[in-house]
Amino acid sequence: MKIVKHIVPRIFLLAAILFATSYIYTEYLYEDDLQEHSPIINTIREIPLETDILYVGESSNIMYAEDDADKRTISEMLAGHYPSLTVFDLSKRASHAGIFKTFLAAIPEDKEIKTLVMTLNIRSFGANWIHSSLETPLAKNNVLLGLEHPIIKRFYLSFKAYDNDNEQVRRHNMLAQWDSDELIFPYDFPYANTNEWDDAMAATGIKLGGGKIDPVTDLACHYIKAYAFQIDTLTNPRIQDFNEIIALANERGWNVVFNLLGENLEKADELVGKDLLFLMEQNHNLVVDYFERQGVTVVDNFSAVSNQYFIDQDWTSEHYTEEGRSHVAGNVAKHLRIFHPDAYQED
Amino acid sequence: MLFNTLDYILFLPIVIIGYYLLNAKYRWALLLIASYYFYMCWKPEYVVLILASTLIDYFAGLQMAKRDSKKKRRPFLYMSLAANLGILFAFKYANFFSETATNIAHSMDFMVHFPLFDFLLPVGISFYTFQTISYSIDVYNDKIRPERHLGHFALFVSFFPQLVAGPIERFSSLSPQLKRPQSFDYENFKNGLRMILFGLFAKMVIADNAAPIADVIFNDPELYNSFNISLGLFFYSFQLYCDFFGYSLIAIGSALIMGIKLMDNFNSPYLSVNVADFWRRWHISLSTWFRDYIYFPMGGNRVRKMKWIFNIVAVFVISGFWHGASFTFIFWGLLVGLLYVIEMTINKALKIRTEIKPFSANHLLRAAKTFIIISFTWIFFRSLTFADSWIMFDALFSNGGLDGKTLDISMVLWLTLAGFIVLDWVLYNKRFDTWVGRQPFVLRWVLYAMMIFSIMVFTGVEEIPFIYFQF
Repeated sequence: MKIVKHIVPRIFLLAAILFATSYIYTEYLYEDDLQEHSPIINTIREIPLETDILYVGESSNIMYAEDDADKRTISEMLAGHYPSLTVFDLSKRASHAGIFKTFLAAIPEDKEIKTLVMTLNIRSFGANWIHSSLETPLAKNNVLLGLEHPIIKRFYLSFKAYDNDNEQVRRHNMLAQWDSDELIFPYDFPYANTNEWDDAMAATGIKLGGGKIDPVTDLACHYIKAYAFQIDTLTNPRIQDFNEIIALANERGWNVVFNLLGENLEKADELVGKDLLFLMEQNHNLVVDYFERQGVTVVDNFSAVSNQYFIDQDWTSEHYTEEGRSHVAGNVAKHLRIFHPDAYQED
Repeated sequence: MLFNTLDYILFLPIVIIGYYLLNAKYRWALLLIASYYFYMCWKPEYVVLILASTLIDYFAGLQMAKRDSKKKRRPFLYMSLAANLGILFAFKYANFFSETATNIAHSMDFMVHFPLFDFLLPVGISFYTFQTISYSIDVYNDKIRPERHLGHFALFVSFFPQLVAGPIERFSSLSPQLKRPQSFDYENFKNGLRMILFGLFAKMVIADNAAPIADVIFNDPELYNSFNISLGLFFYSFQLYCDFFGYSLIAIGSALIMGIKLMDNFNSPYLSVNVADFWRRWHISLSTWFRDYIYFPMGGNRVRKMKWIFNIVAVFVISGFWHGASFTFIFWGLLVGLLYVIEMTINKALKIRTEIKPFSANHLLRAAKTFIIISFTWIFFRSLTFADSWIMFDALFSNGGLDGKTLDISMVLWLTLAGFIVLDWVLYNKRFDTWVGRQPFVLRWVLYAMMIFSIMVFTGVEEIPFIYFQF
């Protein structure tokens, strides 16, 4: 009894300290934290109350070539096809569905959005991206966008309640997944997994005119690391992310369109060959089929961009020149006619 | 699982509640399961290393106890040392030796490449291997009787609060406490929470906010003037201290709530009057380990002067190598050892008293001198290569003036660090929990409120793991 008498006032005192902390933080410090750690909040706040098309993308909607005459992004070009509609861009480099789902959940419910267009990047399903070292800062930036009370979110941020593996652990996990995920072909293939294939490519090299050309070999290895995987819809975290986005869109009454980004198939073929194309095509077919079965419109740009329209020739990316962006935007625009039939016009 | 994570905040109360609800006979099993779970949260497969270390030392201990002469025990001691040091070597030092051998071969025009291994360094490997080595040596020297209960022994090796970064406990101190039926003690509970609170404050508010400042200076010293580099070094000194001190406090506090008293690991080291005093106050559990298991067996100070100098320097070089597999750590150990010897020699020659009145002007001046010396040595501790250390020293002494880029240090960091320094001063030769318990109610709760507020609101958000975890 004596101990209870001793403890109870202290519990109240502790509660008062926490309450005061919460009040001071929410009133005077939260906004500064938001600006410092989650500046994307400003873009989210800028979404007009009535938005016809919300375009959510990663660097494919940010990058352009220096010598492009038309430097508009894909979403701006899309807006050009729908001049009478409000098209808003919510893009962030290196992001993917796992990050986008938090952005979307943070959009206030009073903002009426008719159609959500989101990039669907095949590479983001692979271990190379899932275990990327960029994931930790991205996950951290998302904490304050959550729907919890500000002091709870600060608590999560302080006590690392997010995916906070360090670079070394992520790299280790990536290598482990490349080892453990068996590559299955309908024919004999000499390498059991991504690591073996990558090692073999690094050892053999690409021989142009007889010698081993290291930068080209490096690029071929990058293609293997980026695309040599097979999506398992039961375990792939990205599938789960897209499913959650579809559920959220259904809840909010948004039309959903996935813009399946074009990959450099020509380069993949040239550097690595048909085996890699087989895997890329298999993953492509799987995601298109999987999401279309859920009633999502998938704009299939997977093979729509030819090699010459990729900006990065020494890296795997979905950064397109103006012709590439225009082509992708045009395809998306055509598919959006089902939701906005009267507003479409040729650019 | 790190102490400053939500996972630990949920894990600890569950273990503590389970611990006190369970019959005392079975608590060891709960703690053992909790400890293995705690470790496996990081990399499950590495638990086999602790298991291997546990089984080998358990077996070696029992075998040694069966033999009455040291000569007969020796093979089992060697077996234990080989296993533990072998694990340590394979996971911590193999790449260092491989790289060094490759570099030496290349310098002699032998174009061979010794293999490098893509291992993750098992967290805490240097700590638990040293703890089990001390057990084997103590059994060998007949100082303790071996543990016959495998579960109890496994718990001694893996007790989660001190598993990954110490304090490195002795069997004679920790094991009896783990076996003793502990009834809930409100004083221990309060004191444990106090230690955890202060530890979180030191780690999350001071160390994690000081880290980005130290990082920018160590990453690009050329960009900053000497004044700012000095500031960066100052903040690194406190980052390192608060990081490890904070960790130790949380470890001690977590164990204390369960009635288990771990040894103190720090005692206001930056108020030390000389380098020797510093090493009596910094990472005490490691310093005493080296003293008992390396320095004393080498003869300690009961040898000729040159041998004594050799003993001191050798112990510090080994300590440097323990901290990390790189030449900068070895050099850091060598430097500290030499400083230790030089200062002791000067003090002896000039008959400078080491016993001084605390907080006198003399104390403060000598503490400032020691702090500056130690801070310089941290340059080698923090730098990845000698070239980096040299760039830092060069910039520190040649980027004069107050021009150039300046550090952006928040007022919050200055204020919280000032608060910490005052507290560290007050705690000279005292423990936080007992000291704060004696303060008036209002002062005590104002202090708690400030710490809680700072932890909730001002914590650094960069990804900075406990520095000593990497050792």
